[in-house]
Amino acid sequence: MTKYINIRIQFRTITTTKVGLLLPLLLLLFNAVSAQEDIKFKFSGFADTYHAVRSKSPNDFMSSRSRLRTEFEANTGNTYLFASLNSVYNSLDEDQTKIELREAFFQYTKDNWDVKLGKQIVVWGVADGLRITDIVSPMDYSEFLARDYDDIRIPVNAFRLKYVKSSYNLEVIFVPVSEFFVLPYDSENPWSVANSYVMPFRITTDDTPDKTIRNSEFGGRFSFYLSGIDFSVAALHSWNKMPVFETRYSENKDTLLLNANYERFDMLGMDFSLPVSKFVLRGEVAQYFNELQEVKNDKKVKKNTSNFLVGVDWYPGNDWTVMAQYYHRLINNYDDNMSSDKNTAYATLSVAKKLLRSTLNLKAYAYIDVVNKSSFTRFTADYSLTDQIHVMAGYDWFQGDKGMFATYKDNSEYWVKAKFSF
Amino acid sequence: MKFTTLITILLLTVSGLSAQTLTGREIAQKVKDRPDGDTRSSEMTMKLINKRGRMRERKVVSYSMDYGKNMKDKKTLMFFQYPGDVKGTGFLTWDYDEIGKDDDKWLYLPAMKKTRRISGSSAKKDYFMGTDFTYDDMGSRNIDEDDHKLLREEEVDGHKCWVLESTSKDSRDIYSKKVSWVRQDCDVSVKVEYYDKMNKLHRVLVLSDIEKVEGFWIAKKMDMKNVQTNHETIITIANPKYNIPLEESTFTVAKLEKGAL
Repeated sequence: MTKYINIRIQFRTITTTKVGLLLPLLLLLFNAVSAQEDIKFKFSGFADTYHAVRSKSPNDFMSSRSRLRTEFEANTGNTYLFASLNSVYNSLDEDQTKIELREAFFQYTKDNWDVKLGKQIVVWGVADGLRITDIVSPMDYSEFLARDYDDIRIPVNAFRLKYVKSSYNLEVIFVPVSEFFVLPYDSENPWSVANSYVMPFRITTDDTPDKTIRNSEFGGRFSFYLSGIDFSVAALHSWNKMPVFETRYSENKDTLLLNANYERFDMLGMDFSLPVSKFVLRGEVAQYFNELQEVKNDKKVKKNTSNFLVGVDWYPGNDWTVMAQYYHRLINNYDDNMSSDKNTAYATLSVAKKLLRSTLNLKAYAYIDVVNKSSFTRFTADYSLTDQIHVMAGYDWFQGDKGMFATYKDNSEYWVKAKFSF
Repeated sequence: MKFTTLITILLLTVSGLSAQTLTGREIAQKVKDRPDGDTRSSEMTMKLINKRGRMRERKVVSYSMDYGKNMKDKKTLMFFQYPGDVKGTGFLTWDYDEIGKDDDKWLYLPAMKKTRRISGSSAKKDYFMGTDFTYDDMGSRNIDEDDHKLLREEEVDGHKCWVLESTSKDSRDIYSKKVSWVRQDCDVSVKVEYYDKMNKLHRVLVLSDIEKVEGFWIAKKMDMKNVQTNHETIITIANPKYNIPLEESTFTVAKLEKGAL
């Protein structure tokens, strides 16, 4: 197969020099504001090691990595600084062996105003594991969904200003340079999204949007936290974070040429959470305006799409938790010539139980592609050996012949993990 | 002595006696109404000890304030500080005194960078973080959720106590009744026995290190033992503060996500 390049080429990895410049700058800013106040410092983090083996022959390792996460906090009450660093050794993929500044932001609170500046993970909405209004921070699919969720989210450089009252808060956000999905294309990577391609291919990297102020993202969210209900409305002027590929053939028709495209779109959405007895009902809906669907013969097809999610969390007692969601996406004014499906539907189901005085957590989390009848389920057993050490084991099960999960149907794997927190 | 004068004296004597003998409900109300400031904060360390003597630890910092009509409702913010895997987890509660009105609760999970709304009714009966205290034990309870009966008076460690039996009216509670020994000088319980649905002794709570801090009585040590499983939880309260400057805008999801005040 023709060698190719990773489309993102480690956009989110900052070199040691840049890490060296950013942290002192944040500390200087922090000191300038908090000069007269007592500062409380905290240093924490964890070390973990994770290994996964394919359950089918050839039973090869799907993942083998160790990581040190270090987190630093400085707090005076009104001012707060947070920085986290990932130092990773990956036995299978040397591109993933790196030191990476994960988050580094500065927060200042005065009266009802709160400003947060820097590299941070932005989470909106009430959906679990699905993105409807939660589209600011994209995802790193280097190992698809078989990683800790906080590792999958990609932090963005952002300016966030909030006005906070006891029952509501209003947030505006500005992201100077957007971040985009990280997708693996390396044929050596078992999670490569190109595993389904039967012929050699080459990705010619279309530029992510030019880094100009005109291409910045901005938006806002108005959230209400009331007795008996939470709800929010949100709007964002954004980009499709998952690339939309135009596919062509080379001149001699022996190579597939893929060109990634990114276009502007606008999102308007709302969400709510409503506790009712032992249940919490969740809902989220978003209209995307002029979302890029596909590119054919240089022509970009844009459509409005309607996205909605309903979810229910059930707390029956005895440390059981059951959560279910249904998500549906509908392309408006669908054209039968389009290659994308008019309807996309996913469901998720999570069942969790705590045992042995909450030292043992058992969980099954399933993503189900309703239209294509395929699924991905992660089974997890997490035991707290001591207050510092957790040992975990599980099974990731892919099944189905069509759709996104079918791409990985041979990737079902056993995995183990150990983690020391400090 | 004239007959009317004699009747008056008798009536005054009887009413005087009634004023000294409190009902069970009145004693429960005294305990509930014991002054504890309008706002408060503290650091709690919880030691969990199993029957083999193996110990685990939890640390929480807590802030709360009274609010609402008659200041009977309460807002609480808790941040978990230890162990490392739960550090940064936050719990926000708006606790309502009104019977039948579910509390509003939110949980912030730092690993997900996300706050979720959780059920205010079902979690109450579950044990808090693997301890021997339920969420209901950790929160506040309307006195009319139980029927109260004064059993007797008794002396415990040199202090005169009321012995109060409280029978739950809620079939979802994990106990059928509890018997409390309440010090008469400060309205603080020194011991509580919890009985399960079969009326067997289930848990015993012993409160000690009772002292006045900033003019308010507090038990700084609470030892809950599950006598059926032989598991024990000891809560130690450090650095209690009262009437600290806190506002309702402190008890918000924004503060919960920040992880500290």
